[in-house]
Amino acid sequence: MLNLDFEQQMNETEKIKRARQIAIIAGVFTAFVGVLLLLNYLQIKKSDPLNSLVLEKLVERLSSEPNNQHFVEEIRQVDLLMRKAYFTSLWQVRTGAYLMLFGAIVLVLSLRVYYSLRFAIDQPSADQIKEKKKRQLTQRWIGFSGALVIILAIMSAFFTMNHLKNYEPKKMLVHSKSDDESIEKVEIVSIRTTEKETDTVIITESTDVEVKQPEVAITQQPKVVVFNEETVKKNHNAFRGSWGNAVSSSTNLPTSWDGATGKNILWKTELPIHGYNSPVIWNEKLFLSSANTSKRVVYCYDRNSGKLLWEREVNNIQGSPATQPKTTEDTGLAAPTLTVDGEKAFAIFGNGDIIAFDLNGNRVWAINLGVPDNHYGHSSSLLTWEKKLFIQYDTHKGSKVMALSTETGKTIWETVRTNEVSWASPILAKIDGKFQLIMLANPNLSGYDITTGKQLWSVDCMSGEVGPSPVYGGGLVYATNEYARMVAVNPKTGEKVWEDNYYLPEVSSPAYHNGYIYIATTFAVVACFEATTGKLLWEFEAKNSFYSSPMIAEGKVWVFDTGGKAYIFESGGESKLISSPELGEKVFSTPVFADGRVYIRGIKHLFCIGVN
Amino acid sequence: MVRLYKKHIPLKNHNNIFLGLIFLLMTVPTQIAHSQQQRFPKPEFQTEYQIPETERPNPRAPFMEYLDLFLLLAVLSLTTWLVLKKRSRKWILWVSVFSLLYFGFYRNGCICSVGSLQNLTLSLFNEGYSVSFTVLAFFVVPLLFALAVGRVFCASACPLGIIQDLVIVKPIKLSPWLQKSLGLFPFIYLGLAVLYAATGTDFIICRFDPFVGIFRMGAEFHMIVLGISFLLIGMFVARPYCRFVCPYGALLKICSLNSKYHLSITPKDCINCKLCKDSCPFDAIDFPTDEKENRASRKDFWKFVFYAALIPVLMFVGGWAVSGSYKLLSSAHPDVYLANLLVSQPELMQNTENLDIETFMSSGKTLEILVEEAKIIQEKFRFGGWFLGAFIGLVIALHLLNQVIFRKRSIYEANRGDCFSCGRCMDYCPVGKPEHPFFKDKPEMVVKS
Repeated sequence: MLNLDFEQQMNETEKIKRARQIAIIAGVFTAFVGVLLLLNYLQIKKSDPLNSLVLEKLVERLSSEPNNQHFVEEIRQVDLLMRKAYFTSLWQVRTGAYLMLFGAIVLVLSLRVYYSLRFAIDQPSADQIKEKKKRQLTQRWIGFSGALVIILAIMSAFFTMNHLKNYEPKKMLVHSKSDDESIEKVEIVSIRTTEKETDTVIITESTDVEVKQPEVAITQQPKVVVFNEETVKKNHNAFRGSWGNAVSSSTNLPTSWDGATGKNILWKTELPIHGYNSPVIWNEKLFLSSANTSKRVVYCYDRNSGKLLWEREVNNIQGSPATQPKTTEDTGLAAPTLTVDGEKAFAIFGNGDIIAFDLNGNRVWAINLGVPDNHYGHSSSLLTWEKKLFIQYDTHKGSKVMALSTETGKTIWETVRTNEVSWASPILAKIDGKFQLIMLANPNLSGYDITTGKQLWSVDCMSGEVGPSPVYGGGLVYATNEYARMVAVNPKTGEKVWEDNYYLPEVSSPAYHNGYIYIATTFAVVACFEATTGKLLWEFEAKNSFYSSPMIAEGKVWVFDTGGKAYIFESGGESKLISSPELGEKVFSTPVFADGRVYIRGIKHLFCIGVN
Repeated sequence: MVRLYKKHIPLKNHNNIFLGLIFLLMTVPTQIAHSQQQRFPKPEFQTEYQIPETERPNPRAPFMEYLDLFLLLAVLSLTTWLVLKKRSRKWILWVSVFSLLYFGFYRNGCICSVGSLQNLTLSLFNEGYSVSFTVLAFFVVPLLFALAVGRVFCASACPLGIIQDLVIVKPIKLSPWLQKSLGLFPFIYLGLAVLYAATGTDFIICRFDPFVGIFRMGAEFHMIVLGISFLLIGMFVARPYCRFVCPYGALLKICSLNSKYHLSITPKDCINCKLCKDSCPFDAIDFPTDEKENRASRKDFWKFVFYAALIPVLMFVGGWAVSGSYKLLSSAHPDVYLANLLVSQPELMQNTENLDIETFMSSGKTLEILVEEAKIIQEKFRFGGWFLGAFIGLVIALHLLNQVIFRKRSIYEANRGDCFSCGRCMDYCPVGKPEHPFFKDKPEMVVKS
């Protein structure tokens, strides 16, 4: 009997010993796996592929040399390696975590066994502290705890600042204007001293400014910018100028310059990222956009000094695709030109992102229209009028035209179109005293009511992949496309007035002036036609092909070839070349005119040309 | 500086000196890695590769929802029988293990009676929000069982409680004053959860559920830390979340206090052997009272009167104080937070890195509208704060009052409010058990003097 008891006792002791040993081993194992996991976690944090500097630098280098296949391949390799490393680490962490969980379970179980084997019921003893004393102590602590809760609540009531209580929208308006004080000053001074023609840009005291704050009102008078036909004509607020009709009202423009020597180049600034869109101007500010596969950016420059006033990356847009759509190199993601309505600048990109900034760079709204199914890339530019932003969205998966509210980005109207994918931009034309939105695609040239979006007329007249935009002048709409034809259509009757197919542009759009139509072709020919009959009046063979569209300014025809050489003709039925200055850089965009200056976006730089 | 306002970067805030220690002990990295994996962007393919559409799982079939409810009823009924009739701690334990595996790890801690409180509240205050029958049943059924037989839900159906129960290694006794003081918190948490759900701000019980991350093998870093901390503490302070945090536990406690039938430590007459005295790791056993000592004095009577008179005072003061703290409370609402941020720092409106600001800016809504909406929400908090504060005042006053009410007790019995019906104490009672192991198998270990 004694031996049995002894054996039982030994067994108990042995079990306790074993349980303790297992607990120690499980504890050490768990701790060891934990250390490894910690190191792995730190490694994951360190080699986060989302913030890889190596990859970022490679992408930057690629954006400067977009055609370099070596960079592309290198980026792919690095990206793949980093992803592999990252996901391998994740696998290691997950496996390690399960091992550690197993260790922790063994540890807890062995500890439970250990303590239960050592367990014995203590001999019941009388309580040391009397019940009443316990209760008194408990009351005291409940009192303290309750008081603490209430005191904390009172303290938070008095010491928490409520910013909303003192919120006044008017003050916020003045405050936000002051953020860009220096820029505003430049704008006001230059309007009064140099821009004689911008009298109609009315500068008044805003009714929003509080009378009680004269010091604010004096230094930062908010302006009310009138956006009407007069101000639009005096600015260059869209692709090919006012309403996209290729006419500028600027005068005193230089006709000679030389990019190599710097003659009449007032300033030039390097553009960080490439883009094919043309600049737009509102008063003293010039806007353009750029994009590559990693980012899309809108830039605002002081057009007097070339200083970059602000740049804003276009991101965090709901519905924007994580992977950018494939585009060809000669289109890219930033082919469409921006537009400005005097208060906001609007930009659209090849992934369907559309965004509005105020002129100080504050983001107002942004949406994604859905990725356009377009095998070259979306290139149709924006137009704005009467608080509406017009978008020609012709894709393989369906075509439509829409008007968004410039204030909110919400759709005001949307009209389904029956044409094929196109690359042309819309124009606005005043017909019978009312503006119409006119668009060209394959197969039709159509006019739309800008208030309702209703199609007013449509003429089947075009074929092929339509790139050139139409132009309106002399009561007719002119449309053309390479391998198709050039037509003149009466928008009131829908009648085709004439048709010709001798010289046809591929990318460049036609211009109209005083009864003449000017076109610039990819075969390096500038041609002039009689607008009423379609008769070819003259032709001029240039050095390089034309992507840039001809513009009419100061009674002259201005057009840049892709080599950067400009051709300035006297407008008329006879070929009179005034000059053909060289920029010294490839040009694909269309020139912009303001205050006796010519602005042109080269492949790498933005140029301001004026008389030195 | 700007990044400080980003709401979605909680990880860095916790990279403190405790990181290493905590990582040594549990499976945190898995959870973090898991969350990172989900937000990992797709590669920017420049080939013809078509990225497949993201597949979304279908909602749970109604049949499966009813299966959840059926299992809950089955578990509660079985536990009731095990507690009241069979009196078997061992089987209660196994039922609880099943519940942990099913409601915890298989169902990922959801559907959950604890969190259903918020769904129900929101459905009452928001016309556009409704709850399914299953959610309603998950909220009501455990309360009905508590009203009938005590907190059997805590014993064997709640995965949050069971995971803590299983890690109890060497529980220590807590002083009554500490237990009662900490015991105020579940009621405060309950009130806050109702206020936040009613105002549509957040489901704070779910957001701060410390164990759901373990069930799902994925949660934000701070929640994993919280869960592990509770389990580590729970090895020595049994069920800390259930006793000092759980808001649903506060409701169960109220119901259980008035339960018709309840677990009894002894199946027949208590012989006052005191063996069960220290058996409860939750300090939920009430001892026999000392007649002489507990005789109410005149002083006790006036204390009672004082505390009773204190009820309306504390309710008013609490209401006033909490209502006044609406600025702090409402700042948890995303609209109020954003409005405060943009009004105090308008330059942040140009910040393209902050997701919240970016989302707001792209919505087309003006700051003025946002501020107006935020002010409406603040008013709701100011109004709701009166009820919350009054509730807190009432709870404090009743806890005080309870301390001057003396009840005669001649035997050792489970405290109906605090007892989780786990059945541990039943094993200690030798009444009706001639084969009781402490008497029969290990006579030498019965009493350690």
